[in-house]
Amino acid sequence: MTNRRDFLRTTGALAVGAMLAGCASEEDAGPGGPTGAPGGAPAETFEEPSKKLSGGLSILLWSHFVPSHDAWFDKFARDWGSKTGVDVKVDHIDQAQITTRIAAEISAGQGHDMIQFIAPLSQFEPSVLDLKDLTDEASKRWGTQLELCQKSSFNPSTGKFYAYSPGWVPDPGNYRKSLWEPAGFPNGPASWDDLLKGGGEIKKSKNVQMGLGMSQEIDSNMVLRGLMWTHGASIQDANERVILNSPETVQAVEFMAKLFKESMTNEVFSWNAASNNQGLVAGKMSYIVNSISAWRTSQGTNPQVADDVHFVPALRGPAGQFAAQHVLYNWIVPKHAANPDAAKEFLLHYTSNFKAATYASKLYDFCSFAERTPELNGWLASDPFGSNPPDKLKLLSDATKWSVNIGYPGPANTAEGEIFNTFVIPNMFARVARGEQSAAESVAAATSQATAVFDKWRAQGLVGKG
Amino acid sequence: MADREGTLAWLFLMPSVVYILALVALPFLLAIGYSLSDVTAGDPSFDWVGTRNFQRVFEDPVFWRSLGNTFVFTLISMALIVVLGKVLANILVADFRGKWVVRFLVLLPWTTPVALSSIAWLWMLDSIFSPIDWVLRQLGLIEGNMYWLGEPGLAMASVIAVHVWRLTPLAAVIMVAGLVAIPRDLDEAARVDGAGYWRRMFEVTIPLVLPVAAVAALFGAIFTFTDMAVVDVLTNGGPNNATQVLTSWAFFRGIDGGDVGQGAAIALFLFPLLLAAAIAILRAVRRLEVR
Repeated sequence: MTNRRDFLRTTGALAVGAMLAGCASEEDAGPGGPTGAPGGAPAETFEEPSKKLSGGLSILLWSHFVPSHDAWFDKFARDWGSKTGVDVKVDHIDQAQITTRIAAEISAGQGHDMIQFIAPLSQFEPSVLDLKDLTDEASKRWGTQLELCQKSSFNPSTGKFYAYSPGWVPDPGNYRKSLWEPAGFPNGPASWDDLLKGGGEIKKSKNVQMGLGMSQEIDSNMVLRGLMWTHGASIQDANERVILNSPETVQAVEFMAKLFKESMTNEVFSWNAASNNQGLVAGKMSYIVNSISAWRTSQGTNPQVADDVHFVPALRGPAGQFAAQHVLYNWIVPKHAANPDAAKEFLLHYTSNFKAATYASKLYDFCSFAERTPELNGWLASDPFGSNPPDKLKLLSDATKWSVNIGYPGPANTAEGEIFNTFVIPNMFARVARGEQSAAESVAAATSQATAVFDKWRAQGLVGKG
Repeated sequence: MADREGTLAWLFLMPSVVYILALVALPFLLAIGYSLSDVTAGDPSFDWVGTRNFQRVFEDPVFWRSLGNTFVFTLISMALIVVLGKVLANILVADFRGKWVVRFLVLLPWTTPVALSSIAWLWMLDSIFSPIDWVLRQLGLIEGNMYWLGEPGLAMASVIAVHVWRLTPLAAVIMVAGLVAIPRDLDEAARVDGAGYWRRMFEVTIPLVLPVAAVAALFGAIFTFTDMAVVDVLTNGGPNNATQVLTSWAFFRGIDGGDVGQGAAIALFLFPLLLAAAIAILRAVRRLEVR
């Protein structure tokens, strides 16, 4: 018979288990996940600072979706500190808490010397240092910065680099080969029309749905923007004028409603950022749009599923082939930073060694200066982390051709950021897919919301006059 | 010093006064200031904009939806919390074997951190792996999945259910205090007069417990009204803002969106509503006590 002590012990164990599981990152590699090829990590070099450094340097960054990256980064930063005489302190927190933390630190006028986030931080522009000198120096050393990274760290209306963006992460399509092959698409869908045909067929014949969210979360925001761009629609134009209310947007919204009816279920309205990963790894989704981390997770937890998951580039639509970046690294140096020189020198050293970051993140992080990762194409062609087949990620060699920034064809400005964070676009699509509004009505409502946001930030001088 | 009661009283009161001024009054005044300014997450400098933030808030359909949702969540949760709290309180005061285990289990939802319990509910209501759906399927009540958080009505019901689940133990504990304070001779006199269980319940126990039930309702209302953790974890305000409440919308606008002024204006709407609710309930309590 279970006594009281056993009962308490069991309850406690369950509670701790639940807590640990709750703390696990969205895309944790999981137990038994790939640990990397022994001895395959690239050698690191020391980037000599241009001036003598001293004092402390406190760094705040996210807890990476691939935990091995954080172990590498912490040692990398400490080693740099010991060579330069700077006392480096690194703090990792969940990415969902970073903007709140930045707002608090800026309000208090004290905190970390440099902060990294996985999306543009344009809203903090007035309180951060202009990093033009750093970006210019990096471009001088390593060539042109990738356009999507520049457009996600530079405000053309103020001429300020509110952030430094040395890296990004592509967002390919993930599909289950065993489902798409019988549907007549052995290499997965190449276009939105393929997705409609194949996804509908798989749903009909196997009752396995697709996983493109229309929920109030980040992945829905990304994939739906990709759909809009490939139909020639966007929230703003290159001059930061709102052009959301267009026949192209209506067409994209109508297409999604049709795609939803033929290949998805209502669960796509309830998703959080981890849902499509979980569904794919569990074998419950035929296609999702996400980075490679969900697949990396399944390499450890469910190798059969991992072998069955393959990737396709951004889908083609009537107006081209586009996808949003999955993650966009923004490093900011707040005006209150005590040691900005050390922050900039560290970022140059970090960029110089970006191939080590790419490797430590299991090919998750890509550099915005292509020259810094000459090994990348080789790794993608023959995955050092046990991909089957080894060249599964080869298509990502061309990811820069179809990846664009949030806000495309304009910059990732503050208005785009607020629209992103208040889920105007996913809700615009969801209302039509649910049959609550016509496409034209929903697009008009979303345009009204977007225009109010643009007007507000334009009045603050952070968005171009159009 | 011990003889100077006035000084001593102030000395004892000071920690509470300082605490309330520093952590309640000051942030409240700051919120008023922010709501009348153009303060953003990236620019804390204060520039007076008058009522512009409030005008923009009024023009925002999501604000009105959030306001309506906040009322719906609070009123339904409050009613359920009071009714279930009373039922639970009756169980808690009863004398039976294993009552300590039952009391421990009953109080567990209240003692569990809200973020942790919300994550547990998120898994319970998962669109693919929900154990609730599994049970319903095994019982033959459903065929597919319910998508608890994907349907507006079900999502609202889910958020309310989690609020009720976590706040009912608190209401029960408050009501236990009311129940044990009822003189036993009143109940016995009613029994002698031939009153049955339900008659004693509705004509003796409930009238005497009402003031305490009102306090439980007040706590339930405040905790539901001001909570954003449950919504944030379960639905993030979705689907299509169907579960958006004032607290979550203020956060999305003010912090994630960067518009602190507008976020503060939205958050301030909690104050008059909570004040009115608190005054109404406390007056009702007083009236009941006088009677």
